[in-house]
Amino acid sequence: MTAYIIRRLMQGVVVLFLISAVTFFLINLAPGGPSSAVSFQSTAAEREAVLKQYGLDKPVMVRYVDWLSQAVRGNLGTSLNQGLPVARLLAQRAGATLELGLTALFLATLGGVLLGIVAAGFRNRWPDHVVSALSALGMAIPGFWLGIVVIIVFAVHLGWLPTSGVFSVGKQFSLADRLRHLALPAGVLAFTLMPNIVRVTRSALLEVTHSDYVRTAHAKGLLPRVVLLKHTFKNALVPVLAILGLVTTVLFSGSVVIESVFGWAGLGRLAIEAANGRDYPVILGVTLLAGAFVVVVNLLVDLLYAAVDPRIRHG
Amino acid sequence: MADVLAAPRPRRSRLVRRVARHPIGIAAAAVIVVLLVMVTLGPVLYGQSPETANPAESLASPGAQHWLGTDELGRDVFARILAGGRVSLAVGLLSMLVGLTLGTLVGGLSGYFGGRTEMLLMRTVDVFMAIPAFFLILVIITAFGNHPATVIVTVGLGFWAQMARVVHAEFSKYRNAEFVEATHALGASHPRTMTLHILPQVVPQAIVLATLGVGWSILSEAALSYLGLGIQPPLASWGSMLQNAQAYLWAKPMLAIYPGLFIALTVLAFNTLGNALRDVLDPRDV
Repeated sequence: MTAYIIRRLMQGVVVLFLISAVTFFLINLAPGGPSSAVSFQSTAAEREAVLKQYGLDKPVMVRYVDWLSQAVRGNLGTSLNQGLPVARLLAQRAGATLELGLTALFLATLGGVLLGIVAAGFRNRWPDHVVSALSALGMAIPGFWLGIVVIIVFAVHLGWLPTSGVFSVGKQFSLADRLRHLALPAGVLAFTLMPNIVRVTRSALLEVTHSDYVRTAHAKGLLPRVVLLKHTFKNALVPVLAILGLVTTVLFSGSVVIESVFGWAGLGRLAIEAANGRDYPVILGVTLLAGAFVVVVNLLVDLLYAAVDPRIRHG
Repeated sequence: MADVLAAPRPRRSRLVRRVARHPIGIAAAAVIVVLLVMVTLGPVLYGQSPETANPAESLASPGAQHWLGTDELGRDVFARILAGGRVSLAVGLLSMLVGLTLGTLVGGLSGYFGGRTEMLLMRTVDVFMAIPAFFLILVIITAFGNHPATVIVTVGLGFWAQMARVVHAEFSKYRNAEFVEATHALGASHPRTMTLHILPQVVPQAIVLATLGVGWSILSEAALSYLGLGIQPPLASWGSMLQNAQAYLWAKPMLAIYPGLFIALTVLAFNTLGNALRDVLDPRDV
């Protein structure tokens, strides 16, 4: 197991390194990349000076090595538009995204697994069809549009929940207030994440239900409830665990748009602001952080997976 | 009847029967055809301009002249839906082609040649799978700007990696197959073996993924344009219409409803068609 962990850890580091290279070179080799951000109205000498200040006069390979050696020490450069260290901006925003993302992930997993159980239990009967129709809608409805619709319904018409923000400005911290702000964005994000989880839960349950050991468990006279919980469900959860890595990437992509709809001051909003303002250090840092999250989640999933399924770590 | 029974059953009929068992898939295909006809012929037949502003008639309700009313500048909403749909569908289909081509090329080469090529190409694919698609799209848009062609390529880059994985799996499966050995023995070149002998095996799965890819591309373009980073004015797309509409949620909420309904319907149709095609073309995994 230790050897497996070390091997996976190394792979994760390599992927992270490659992500940094891909994003850095994409941005720096583009025509009109960072160097064009320097105003064209200035004189040649002024441009030289600014290029030098940001180190843009050096060859791109040198810049990458410089940037990387700083990045591993936690220095991701300075935002071009806000003048603040990128690392500090990321730290400010990461909390809000984690709050939103973890809530949505929890809701999506809970709902997805429950609906998956219902669908598998009533295979090819109406509850199954209802669940699969819901999943199809969840895949097809744009998250940001659903966000707008629930704002119209719950904030504009009913007036139950706030339209945007992480908390009410100028009020004292209260858990109820936070939850009221969280409800709509987390709900919408969870709805778009759920279809993946429903589908995997359903097919995993159906597969396990038809396996030999479940039939044996029934044959030796165990209560159906015991078979379902101890034999079927436990094993069916393994594939669900396995797609959490994929779900995390979808979650990050979704949160970018949802954070914009609901004015949620998280990493996604930061990425949009950076893209709009051509803030190269920030977009680089935010993408690297998102990639790191995905790599870490995949690593954890793989380790859990290997812990519950011995075939993986010896394979 | 007798001669029908006597005639050797053509191979095609099995496929036809399998298709007939998927009425929902057929309905989805019909919806797609209707949408395509609508956005190509609609603007000519409907007769209202999507761009003529008329401040006197801004935010009008639906009526005989403006079927879905007008927006904040008095432009006809239905005409804008038709024009925007043209852009959204075009971007969706072209992005799919970009992802399909790149994914097939990379997946095919790595699966067929194996070794170092495989190692290098598939690790690249891993990297692209690890970057959340939307962040990758934002990085490219930040670096290369948002010319429509850039948007199309960028969205296509969002799903090529998945395509490459599937094609790679198929190509490496057939790399040492007997029929491939036979083509080598007969003196076929590598490109010939790849395109004429192995590629056809991948077609069913590629069609399925490509159909689902159209839906994904339309959603991504809509999100980008909604954020103001995708298709730029004066061109309208369903996504950019939503961006304008959000400012009028209180006055005219329906402005925000129509474009979204069309996005959802289109994506639903492509996804449903993709899943039905999977059942029809690839009955191995159910």
